[in-house]
Amino acid sequence: MKEERYQYEESPSYVSRREFIAISGIVIAILALPAVWIRSAVVKRNSYIRARLNGLYKDDAGSKVRVSHGNSGVAKLYKDFAGHPLSEVSEELFHTQSYVNRTRI
Amino acid sequence: MSKNQSWILKHPWSVRSFHYLLVLSFIPLAITGVVLFFKPFDQLTMNLYMRIHVVTGVILTLDAVAYFIIGFTRVIAFVKRSFSFSVNDIKWFSILGGYPQKFLLGKKVPVPPMGKYNSGQKLFGICVLIGGTILIATGWGLWGFPHILPHGMTALFGTLHLVFGWILILFLLVHVFLGIYMFDDFKAMFLHGKIPYEEAKEMAPLWVETEIVKIER
Repeated sequence: MKEERYQYEESPSYVSRREFIAISGIVIAILALPAVWIRSAVVKRNSYIRARLNGLYKDDAGSKVRVSHGNSGVAKLYKDFAGHPLSEVSEELFHTQSYVNRTRI
Repeated sequence: MSKNQSWILKHPWSVRSFHYLLVLSFIPLAITGVVLFFKPFDQLTMNLYMRIHVVTGVILTLDAVAYFIIGFTRVIAFVKRSFSFSVNDIKWFSILGGYPQKFLLGKKVPVPPMGKYNSGQKLFGICVLIGGTILIATGWGLWGFPHILPHGMTALFGTLHLVFGWILILFLLVHVFLGIYMFDDFKAMFLHGKIPYEEAKEMAPLWVETEIVKIER
């Protein structure tokens, strides 16, 4: 279409300087506030995992027996019944016979 | 087109170019979005639709960010116009701008004087400003950073993306229909940017009275 001249246009002073500053401030604040909220939520996203981790370490620190070979019940089982780890009885009772490799499923 | 007709520059080149890119990106986004929602095709085809959705989403984002920076004064003017309300807006909504009477009954009813945007366009403008921003932000979150966002936030982003997507798609149908119906405005937006002074005076008398100035050459 042939470009024709125009005789009228919008007044550049439709938005006063005061309005411009006020509206710009509101627009930028509205855009910035959710960004701050999202950032804060992302930073705290693993807080419940960290809390559980700290709880487990705390439980460990307060426990008398902290390793399986220090468990007197297990030691008594081997002494009185199964003999020693990897013994025939241990193999039969404690080791699974039906291992299925599921890593490729 | 009369030689003596006076013209108002309504949509300068910056607005038109922003609108071209908006059309080129939002329409494919809407179509692929609806397809992704209903999932009618096989996995490979759905994957292709997802890729188109992502690429056009990036184009839309670049377009919006560029216009926000380059045309910031026009964005502020758009915000001011969209959020300026008066009693005329209530009167306009009470008769829905006289469009149903015109289309269904063939009657022309008196419509309260409007500014550059009528009340329906203001509502659309508010939906575009808020909904468009939310769609862009949630779209990026869902596509680019789902592994970083907390699970609850990703779910919220998905819901917001869906709700605002549907709202803007439904508004788009009305916008396209009325945009083509107002053919002078359609030509102004897609071709030369100008509308006849007399038509603007009839359709948007407050805009012509308060915002339009004659150019001194």
